[in-house]
Amino acid sequence: MGVAVLVGTRKGLFVLTGDETRREWSVEGPHLTGWDVFHAMRDPRDGTLHAATNNWVYGATAHRSRDLGKTWERAEGIGLPEESELTWEKSWHVEPGHADEPETLWLGGTPGALFRSRDGGSTWEPVQSLLEHPTREKWNPGAGGLCCHSIQMDPSDPQRLYIAISAAGTFRSDDGGESWTPKNSGVAADFFPDNAFPEVGQCVHKLLVHPARPERLWQQNHCGVYRSDNRGDTWERLEDNGLPSGFGFPLALDPADPDAAYVVPEEGAENRVTPNGRLGVYRTRDGGASWELLEDGLPQQAWQSVMREGMSFDRLDPVGIYLGTQSGSVWVSPDSGGEWLEAVRYLPTILSVEAAEWS
Amino acid sequence: MVVVLLPSLLAREAGGEGRFELEAATVREALRGVPVRDLLFDERGELRSLVNVYLDKTQVDDLDAAIAGDAEIRVVAAIAGGRG
Repeated sequence: MGVAVLVGTRKGLFVLTGDETRREWSVEGPHLTGWDVFHAMRDPRDGTLHAATNNWVYGATAHRSRDLGKTWERAEGIGLPEESELTWEKSWHVEPGHADEPETLWLGGTPGALFRSRDGGSTWEPVQSLLEHPTREKWNPGAGGLCCHSIQMDPSDPQRLYIAISAAGTFRSDDGGESWTPKNSGVAADFFPDNAFPEVGQCVHKLLVHPARPERLWQQNHCGVYRSDNRGDTWERLEDNGLPSGFGFPLALDPADPDAAYVVPEEGAENRVTPNGRLGVYRTRDGGASWELLEDGLPQQAWQSVMREGMSFDRLDPVGIYLGTQSGSVWVSPDSGGEWLEAVRYLPTILSVEAAEWS
Repeated sequence: MVVVLLPSLLAREAGGEGRFELEAATVREALRGVPVRDLLFDERGELRSLVNVYLDKTQVDDLDAAIAGDAEIRVVAAIAGGRG
């Protein structure tokens, strides 16, 4: 089995392909020239490529390819209803639906909105319950707009899914998207001096559900790194134990080890660059009790930024971790973070990386 | 007969075709007749703010003005010097 890394950039989509060793990579592309590819993924259910695409003149949409990028189709008519008084501004993340619903896909973006497709991405319907959420007036846009950037299925229950919006927080649905409950208990919003633990308004940067232990969630937040062991009902803050900073954007997990997670801290909200003048990945293998710096192969003199979709992981053993920098390099660790190889450099600004099986 | 000319990105999105011949009474009707109408107009039906339209080499202010006889409509993206 081969591996691909779908690399979304400000100038289209690139596809890196390699074998299971994950040491040699070929670069193909760009696809979707003219489009900012905020996120792209390969649907493991049918192999279709999907991309969340934006153009500064022509707006926000989604593209798909059923032939591994040779040809692309654009979804038409993605838009928010007039009564919402909102318009679709940016497509941020496209996610496959549950394995039991092979034609279902989800698309999140700005302004804090979610679409569902029931026909494999041909047409998209806005999720009305989120547009009408009773807490919406308390949501505030972050620097990237009011973006719904994380969409996670619970593999054990097709009715349960999670979304995260910056800056509204984490929400869980137990009824297939009909209703959404805020799940931010214990998550700080330090930028609200009058109430640092509100019901909503938290600035989640990335949310992931562990695929093998779906009651366990991880989030990289504007205000720390967190873990929940009860489907988001409560969260535990995990810093001051080896991390140089709680601020960062991307997050990766190890499907074989629910206690492992990877983050790329930045100095802080006011200086969004990797700390100590180096590019460092930090890993925990004890559920966040402690973190260790991974640096073998990574540049020791670097001031880098990795965006919220800029890290991914594969399903191989040992897990491969993938990292794309704003300066256009993709770093690959084929051994759970022990060693890092630069798979490609000089790509346009990288917005997202996503690992996929490729055969 | 109205001819609508699209820039290259829109032509790719229109299946590789950048020139469309159609019958239309107004510029809006002509633009809504090409297969990239969703990229020209937002979901409220408003022309996107950075899309410029020229009718026979004159910039169009009123999309609903009547077209008299044969015409050429050209879609031009706003100039974006300074954008990365």
